[in-house]
Amino acid sequence: MKAASAPPPPALPRDLRLDFFRGLALICIFIDHIPENYLNYVTLSAIGFFDAAEVFIFISGFTAALVYGRALAVRGTLIATVQVLRRAWQLYVAHIFLFVIFIAEVSYTVRAFNDAMYNEEMGVGDFLEHPHIAVVQALLLQFQPTFLDILPLYIVMLLIFPPVLICLRWRPLVVLVPSALIYLAVQVFNIDVPAYPPGVVWTFNPLAWQFLFVLGAALGLGLTRGRRQARLAQIAYWPALVIAALVFVIRLSWTFHGFWDAVPALFLRHLWPINKGNLSPLRLVSFFALVMLVAHWVSPQARFMRSAAAQPLVLCGRHSLEIFCLSILLSVLGHFLMSEFNAGFSMQVGINVVGIAVMCLTAGMLDWYRAVQRMPVTTA
Amino acid sequence: MTIRGRSLAGPLLAALACVAVIVTAGGARAETEDCTTPPEMTETDVKLPHLAERLKAHQPATIVAIGGASTIGKAAGSADLAYPHRLGQDLAQDFPDSPINVINKGVPRQSAKQMFERFPTDVFAEDPVMVVWEVGINDAVRGTDVDDFAATLQDGVEELKNRAIDTILVDMQFSRSSATVINFEGYLKALHRVGDLADVYVFPRYEMMRYWSEQKVFNFDDVAPEDRASLAARVYDCLGRKMAGIIQHAVQ
Repeated sequence: MKAASAPPPPALPRDLRLDFFRGLALICIFIDHIPENYLNYVTLSAIGFFDAAEVFIFISGFTAALVYGRALAVRGTLIATVQVLRRAWQLYVAHIFLFVIFIAEVSYTVRAFNDAMYNEEMGVGDFLEHPHIAVVQALLLQFQPTFLDILPLYIVMLLIFPPVLICLRWRPLVVLVPSALIYLAVQVFNIDVPAYPPGVVWTFNPLAWQFLFVLGAALGLGLTRGRRQARLAQIAYWPALVIAALVFVIRLSWTFHGFWDAVPALFLRHLWPINKGNLSPLRLVSFFALVMLVAHWVSPQARFMRSAAAQPLVLCGRHSLEIFCLSILLSVLGHFLMSEFNAGFSMQVGINVVGIAVMCLTAGMLDWYRAVQRMPVTTA
Repeated sequence: MTIRGRSLAGPLLAALACVAVIVTAGGARAETEDCTTPPEMTETDVKLPHLAERLKAHQPATIVAIGGASTIGKAAGSADLAYPHRLGQDLAQDFPDSPINVINKGVPRQSAKQMFERFPTDVFAEDPVMVVWEVGINDAVRGTDVDDFAATLQDGVEELKNRAIDTILVDMQFSRSSATVINFEGYLKALHRVGDLADVYVFPRYEMMRYWSEQKVFNFDDVAPEDRASLAARVYDCLGRKMAGIIQHAVQ
């Protein structure tokens, strides 16, 4: 990361990488959520042991530290805390909105579930059989059907964020050491966080994923501070390059092995499965290797991110919450269309193109609206 | 190859048998037209050494079928109509010298992990020589983390291997309407990859049922309530026979 020259109070020019890569992650989330989608082979999960979830959580931590760190410096602890909590509330509302969509989907397809073979196994019943419990559990973030798992993590991260942020600015190790220890404890003792229904656990274990969020926040704060980081990044560059290249080759061999048995799946027997819920160290390490490379290769204001071609991604990343919700909706719809009508090549291309276009256009509209709102009213 | 000749028409039967072999490729018996699948779907060089040894020695063999609702035969209404029952019947015919006992341990709506936790009481206690593990539906429905799912399967398969028990994994059921809302892909891939890595055969139920659905052999989606049980029974019957054919082929 490049060290910033200005002290915190005057706002820095926005780091376009945050928007750009978060936008990219959102597109990947849309694609990855449609099963049997050929484009799955070219998303982030195809080049590393991690996927868009890491990008999303890391950048969220990074951005939160940037935005609320500045608020803390300029307007004080109380205001910054309230701002963080207000953001958590917005996420919560979005989560409930997605839950309502989930209910709609389930209720609509209940008739489809009346098929002969599947009647018994379809535990969509969790909701329809015990709606009174399921709704309350959803409000408590404990009921996390498919797609409704990453926002609860993000919400919990924001709820603990004010003290994390204050301590990070005061003595970073007071936060980083316990955070790392908790993460390690999860890896060693396999600690889960129970969810609803009984026997189910949080898909994204907050005890593990907090480490990534906190690391993101630490880096986000560091950006507005010294240049020691820049030197660290220089030293770490070569190891990161080697790791990322190795992971890339290994991961690619797995993909090719899937098509063609003759290609050996390198280390598959030793490495797979790579735990996502607990954020396996393999995921974390390969993700940070790529972060290092991106930080090295791409400057915060790199020209390509200001090009017209990159604009849609930057806009998606800037309005990440709305676009995330939209992407979930669109991938559910895409999945439905593909299995209901056909999953042929042209259908796939159509769904991907239309879905991504809708996401980008919506982001553009939101951005336009925000700009309009901020314009001073000149006439009465 | 066993063709149970009931008539005297030896040559005719032999010719029929050839046709049957071509059609079912490895499947041991002539089937009703309902159940045919493309030959490559059931092609396998799987070995079931422990079961084969028992059968060769004409010793009794216990097989445990552990799984979910479709193992216990919920949709058909009775375990006697489920695939393990048919499997036991067919194997008993094929290997009359070995008393074969197929024990049904299906419990509806269980995740891979819950089934794995039942192994000590429901599987090992029966001292089986082979286990058929039907798994994955509940995990896909609930959205269990795919990697956790795979890790549980690996643990289970490993444990069975350590106890010198042959294993067959059975993947998910297909129906168009459920595939519309449930993302099976990742779970299927993980299940088959676990099988590949551990040299364990995965019975391709999903592909078979998808084939039958696409070929309009069976329609799983628009079934009148009163016809559901009989449809389920027919499908279970097909699956049981297919599996018996594969096992028969594998122990030879």
